[in-house]
Amino acid sequence: MNRFFKIIKVIGISILIVAFLFILFWDFDKENDNIPGITTLKYWYISGAKDELPYQALKFDSLRDDIKMKVTGIPWQENEKKVLTSILGGNPPDVVTQVTPVVKWASRNALVSLDKYIKRDNFDSTVFFPALWREMSYNNEIYAIPFNTASYALFYNKRLFREAGLDPNKPPKTWNQVKKYSKKLLRKNEKGNIIQIGYLPDYYKLQTVTIMAWELEAPFYNDDKTRINLTDPKMVRVFQWLSDFYKDYSLNKILAFEAGFGNANQHGFISEKVAMVVLSSSFPDQIKKYKSDLDYGVAKIPTFPGFKTASSAGIWWLAIPRGAKHPDKGWEFIKFSTSKKIALESIKKMESNLFPANKLAATDSSFLKNKRDKIFIENMKYAHSPAIIPLVHDAFWREFIGVQENVKYGANPLEELKNAEKTIQREYKTALSYDKFVQQEMKIDK
Amino acid sequence: MKRKQALLGFVFVAPWVIGFLIFGLYPIIKSIYFSLCQYDVLRIPQFIGIKNYTDLLFEDKYFWKSVWNTLFYTAVRTPMCILGSLLLAVLVNKAVKGMKIFRTTFFMPSIITGVVLSSLWLWILNPQYGLINSMLAFFGLHGPLWLQSTTWSKPAIILMSLWSIGGGRMLVFLAAIQGIPKTLYEVAELDGGGWWTKFRYITVPMISPVIFLWSVIEVIFSFQVFTEAYIMTQGGPLNSTLFYNLYLYMKAFDDFSMGYASALAWLLLVLTLVVTLIQFKISKKYVHYQN
Amino acid sequence: MRKIDKKVFKKVVTYLLLISITVFFILPFLWILSTSLKSDANIFIFPPKWIPDKLDFANYAEVFQRIPFLVYLKNSVFVTSMTIIGIVLSSSFVAYAFACLKWPGRDKVFIFVLITMMLPVQVTMIPLFVLFKNIGWLNTFKPLIVPYFFGGGAFNIFLMRQFFRSIPSDLFDAARIDGMSEFGIYWNIVLPLSKPALATVAVLTFMMIWNDFIGPLIYLSDKMKGTLALGLAMLVGQTQTEWGMLMAASLMMMLPAILIFFFFQKYFIRGFMMSGIKD
Repeated sequence: MNRFFKIIKVIGISILIVAFLFILFWDFDKENDNIPGITTLKYWYISGAKDELPYQALKFDSLRDDIKMKVTGIPWQENEKKVLTSILGGNPPDVVTQVTPVVKWASRNALVSLDKYIKRDNFDSTVFFPALWREMSYNNEIYAIPFNTASYALFYNKRLFREAGLDPNKPPKTWNQVKKYSKKLLRKNEKGNIIQIGYLPDYYKLQTVTIMAWELEAPFYNDDKTRINLTDPKMVRVFQWLSDFYKDYSLNKILAFEAGFGNANQHGFISEKVAMVVLSSSFPDQIKKYKSDLDYGVAKIPTFPGFKTASSAGIWWLAIPRGAKHPDKGWEFIKFSTSKKIALESIKKMESNLFPANKLAATDSSFLKNKRDKIFIENMKYAHSPAIIPLVHDAFWREFIGVQENVKYGANPLEELKNAEKTIQREYKTALSYDKFVQQEMKIDK
Repeated sequence: MKRKQALLGFVFVAPWVIGFLIFGLYPIIKSIYFSLCQYDVLRIPQFIGIKNYTDLLFEDKYFWKSVWNTLFYTAVRTPMCILGSLLLAVLVNKAVKGMKIFRTTFFMPSIITGVVLSSLWLWILNPQYGLINSMLAFFGLHGPLWLQSTTWSKPAIILMSLWSIGGGRMLVFLAAIQGIPKTLYEVAELDGGGWWTKFRYITVPMISPVIFLWSVIEVIFSFQVFTEAYIMTQGGPLNSTLFYNLYLYMKAFDDFSMGYASALAWLLLVLTLVVTLIQFKISKKYVHYQN
Repeated sequence: MRKIDKKVFKKVVTYLLLISITVFFILPFLWILSTSLKSDANIFIFPPKWIPDKLDFANYAEVFQRIPFLVYLKNSVFVTSMTIIGIVLSSSFVAYAFACLKWPGRDKVFIFVLITMMLPVQVTMIPLFVLFKNIGWLNTFKPLIVPYFFGGGAFNIFLMRQFFRSIPSDLFDAARIDGMSEFGIYWNIVLPLSKPALATVAVLTFMMIWNDFIGPLIYLSDKMKGTLALGLAMLVGQTQTEWGMLMAASLMMMLPAILIFFFFQKYFIRGFMMSGIKD
């Protein structure tokens, strides 16, 4: 009997060892790039809520016999890190869609310069909104092509306006009007808790302080771009406005109120809790889906008297990571996707309803569905890029939003701005010196 | 015979040693070097000496904030969890019908970890619609803003740990308690000692080695708290849940300051060592070993 | 009379405590179940309804549409089971050296092993990534499995060692006198006796690897190679968290853990209890 068990044990161990060696050395899925005549093009995009394969990839695949698209959607969180580590790992995709500043990627030597392709094919860059095209370059070379963008406008609830005695056809044009209207639109319940408010500066995605800084043309840098400047009087004015705004309300009541916001039909604007919100061009579809009878209008984003309005232009762009195996074919895919026809068709298929970066596509009559969309297109003229300090992009935004948070909780604007400036300046200086160091080393190599 | 055993000792421990050299030592040495550099992973490292360390210690407000947050979390969570598991073990030790079922239900929450745990509690802690505040409302109480409040965010995350006090830790304590000679308790009862006296003067001292061991382990794990903050709060509000490991991660993978992050990692190691040594010193006074 | 009353009182108090604690522990599970069966509109009403009027299984169906759940399940099972095998075998193997053999420097090395537990994972992450890239293991399951065959982690070695030390030394002496090799003792005596500890380590490993998502995220780029934890992370969006679906997915992901727990609790409850005794 014992012998029997011994044999079983020996067999068992051998199986385990074989299994172990098997995992160790077997390539579970060899990338079958080796079909003669067919290039497998790897394309990574940012997968959103609905995980449908991007239209432009499927279309390209079907039109080109010599190319097979291998498409992967990476979730939003961790997206950058995944792509960057794949570049580091030496097997990046051939084309990526990304949304963080191009400079951040290009300065890290993560993308392939597209200049030679642009020159060779006489690529027409004038079809793109100028504000977006400007974002694609680093050190005078182009590293990406804009694909989609979001546009923003002030959404306001006409019904709530009427109830508060405000003219539903006269949305606020200045920030002080916003402040006044907001007080008029405030409603509390018997317990004294806020159930309705006119405006919240940090709701929803595009922050009011950012818009204001753009409108007042706060410098952010000093003249020769060696120092970060966050304490310019214009910047202080922005955060002073913020501080004054919150003084009209009790902070705890605001926080409790904000905690009740959710998504979909629980969104602050859709649930008619906040009367005025700066929202993106994808929002009308959300409203139609969750509360089609909402009586609202869109308008230009308010500004300070004497200053132009401003909007944001986060850009979804296509680029070729450094180390891609098929950059030439990748470029063809990029050209294809950003062309007017395809950009238009793919936008219609996407759920998130962005705006084509291609001007011609965006202004095409088949895309513009109603009067509202005109305002979004209009606002593209005043669009600024969120890539304010691209070299230390994340650290900058962390500090900037941090100042907003601290001021909201009652801190002194100038103090907070001074602290933030100090922190960012340190990061910036380090980044600059590192950049210089790398440039020098690379020159030596060349 | 002895020599053979010694030799075999080396053979048996070899897998760990090899693994450590390849997956431990090599990366550790590389990261020491990185900590003395500015390095963003995609380009070459730039040697800058101890600048990362001086920046961290003297210029970085987030560093000290994260140290404070982590120490707070550790200092509150560890005693609460140890005490909780201990008391639970005492309770579960009673010979009551159906104890097996109770033990099972106590253990169940501890098998939920990581992403799943954080996702669940994100929902449970929702100030308006979550379980906790709904329950409190049922009793007419107004629950705090939990993860949206600067005062309650850390307690909220600590609360999550309390959900798993019935897990492995409790079982270890239970076993240790069951190893205490019953005669000691009988003597105490004769002397008129109640539940608390027995606990304080017999149970705790007798199993103090086990308690101490777990305290050391728990402190080490608490210092590395990350997933909860990463999934649920991203360090907010107002950096109240910016734990050390989260800050390290942000520096490494959001800012790609790998050198800076490596310096952070090394300082964490030092901090952990210091605290562990302090614990060992204190233990000399309070832990009773039997021998 | 008084004595019996006191006893009854004690029992009642004990039961009350036990039941209320049980409620505290179980309530979240029920809450999650309840949420997973509600449609979005019903999730956001206050005060919330515990038992939804209409049992809506749409959330569960949508999970399968949103992520390739079954593929991820297969991958998770594969990675988890291979890792368990690796950890169980190698941690017990290495623990044998620390618990049952005498060799110079043994205790010092053990303390060193414990110290390695303190090193944050982040430090070694990037150098390890580069290492794996250099040997061509990226986009495979190897980086997630193979390292665990080399010792299986300090904590597991520690657990196994504790357990091994509780085995009476006469067994070893007798076996050695009989001429049995150390490996023979390990394989034929120690391992079979350690089933509770092995089960403990296996279950702990399961829970750790099943829920791990940073590892798969870094090393696996092919979408079809993801694990369940990765799939769950995909559902926690940047601002759009759909609670109903997230709860449904979480429940499904918890299910194997709960099942394993129920079937093996006898073993590892014993395992835990035996590992903490001596020091």
